[in-house]
Amino acid sequence: MNTSLIVLEIAVVLLGLGVLLADLWLPAERRRALGLAAAFGVMMVLCYSFRLDASVPQFAFGQSYVFDALALFFKRFFLFAAVLVLVMSVEFSDSFHGGASEFYALVLFALAGMMFAASAGGFVLLFVSLELITVTFYVLVSFQRHRAQSLEAGVKYLILGALSSGFLVYGIALVFGAGGTMDFAQLQQKLAANHELAHKPILLAGLLLVLVGLGFKIAAFPFQIWAPDVYQGAPAPTTAFLAVGSKAAGIVLLLRLLQGAVPDVAQHWEKLLMVMSGVTILYGSLCAIPQRGLKRLLGYSSIASAGYLLLGFAAMSRAGSVAILYYLGGYLFTVLAAFAVLCVVLRQADSDDISALAGLGQRSPLLAAALTMAMVSLAGIPPLAGFFGKFLLLKAVVEAGADNPAFYWLLAVALVGVVISLYYCFGVIRAIYWSKNTADTSAIEISMPLRASLYACIAGMLYLGLFPRAAVDAAALAVNVLKL
Amino acid sequence: MSVGLEHYLIVSAALFSLGLLGVIMRRNLLVIYMSLELMLNAANLALVAFSRFNNNLDGQLMVFFIITVAAAEVAVGLALIVALYRKRQSAHVEDLVSMKL
Repeated sequence: MNTSLIVLEIAVVLLGLGVLLADLWLPAERRRALGLAAAFGVMMVLCYSFRLDASVPQFAFGQSYVFDALALFFKRFFLFAAVLVLVMSVEFSDSFHGGASEFYALVLFALAGMMFAASAGGFVLLFVSLELITVTFYVLVSFQRHRAQSLEAGVKYLILGALSSGFLVYGIALVFGAGGTMDFAQLQQKLAANHELAHKPILLAGLLLVLVGLGFKIAAFPFQIWAPDVYQGAPAPTTAFLAVGSKAAGIVLLLRLLQGAVPDVAQHWEKLLMVMSGVTILYGSLCAIPQRGLKRLLGYSSIASAGYLLLGFAAMSRAGSVAILYYLGGYLFTVLAAFAVLCVVLRQADSDDISALAGLGQRSPLLAAALTMAMVSLAGIPPLAGFFGKFLLLKAVVEAGADNPAFYWLLAVALVGVVISLYYCFGVIRAIYWSKNTADTSAIEISMPLRASLYACIAGMLYLGLFPRAAVDAAALAVNVLKL
Repeated sequence: MSVGLEHYLIVSAALFSLGLLGVIMRRNLLVIYMSLELMLNAANLALVAFSRFNNNLDGQLMVFFIITVAAAEVAVGLALIVALYRKRQSAHVEDLVSMKL
């Protein structure tokens, strides 16, 4: 067994424990620096990850932990997201009313769960890592115990999350019963050797139940019910991590399962995935229109994003998988930029109504610019990252349309979703620059670390949008390990 | 009559359905939470049965992980429900309505 493969996860868990211990001994006024220290530590781990080589897949704990290019891609993704989320939480820490250090530690533990999820090579690690993420998020969502909304969001997430893990576990049991193995690689070999197995009802039922569990994580229709309430009630840094990290963890597990373990079955599921994707896009986009709360709006738009990501799964091609990874990269910068701005604005205004943005253009040009760019990217307007991500996904759908004309309908639905998203994204931009009743025109101070992360997000959106070549190549390298 | 795999699976499916029914029908958070645990244990029973009849211990191993994770989930979940009860003096789902469209 090769324990050195999990060195990144070990480092993150140790960092989390270190934060908890340091909290005991540091005086209260210096604990603020603890979050920044944690962010710095994660950044060091991120830098170290570039020294690791994953060109040849390596295994640990039997076959259940796999370290390959796809895993490394997602580990870097999660580490980067966690750095920004930690910086945001430091910014937001006054609203917690105590216990900020535990918040940082929990973010780190959730990060470790996501990194394990990126390496899942079997159902055991899939389940354990998913639960590590979910259970940590129960606490993170309800962290503002003095706010009834936060607690309510936490309980809703708890009940629906536990329900989805019930489905997931039962699905795993059925797949194990039919396939006789817990490992993805062995399951794939058995399916390739025995075509009868792919049509066994018990295996199909099990896989559908597992799909329910993962669909819940990425908030795809019809398992998206929790998303708007939880996004609205949770503290802003948690919502950011939920939107980016938790969703990406669901996506990487779906990639490993549908395209790594059971590609023979997933080939027959294109209709199911197409319907799921189309309805998710329409549901997210249409429900976002009347929203006045910013976090709730982003919640619906994240449902729509899950729909766009499912386009890549429905296409069932290499181009589709590359597009998924690229879209997630752009989504990371876009959503984190939006939430970094929200953290500052919400702390000042204490309400997440869209009118809190009034006059942001004068109060802080940087925040206004970052949020505007995030919205433009989310709507999918060139030249930002969001545009190219959606373009690649739609291109993969068009290519798949050569075999099955139903894909053109899916394309039409996705385009309708894009048009609707233009509408609600511009509603936010209008509130920033052209709202009439500006009560407060005092300048907003932005701390140095947050300023740096905003610049990083803006640079990321521009870079991915203008020079997509390097990122597409990296994504293509990462999806090489999948069986397509 | 000898007890075969299908008997275990029928019991497990019945437990799972009862749990699901409880989650849908009951209005008290604690009862809902109990029903959720029932669903997990239904899966445990199925895993153990498959393990025994396939002569493959991987399923048994998974059960240990599920039991451990369920314990952690219960600890966090009950703490959350208690915190909500202190705030609201209620553990009913009808009272979880502060966020609406």
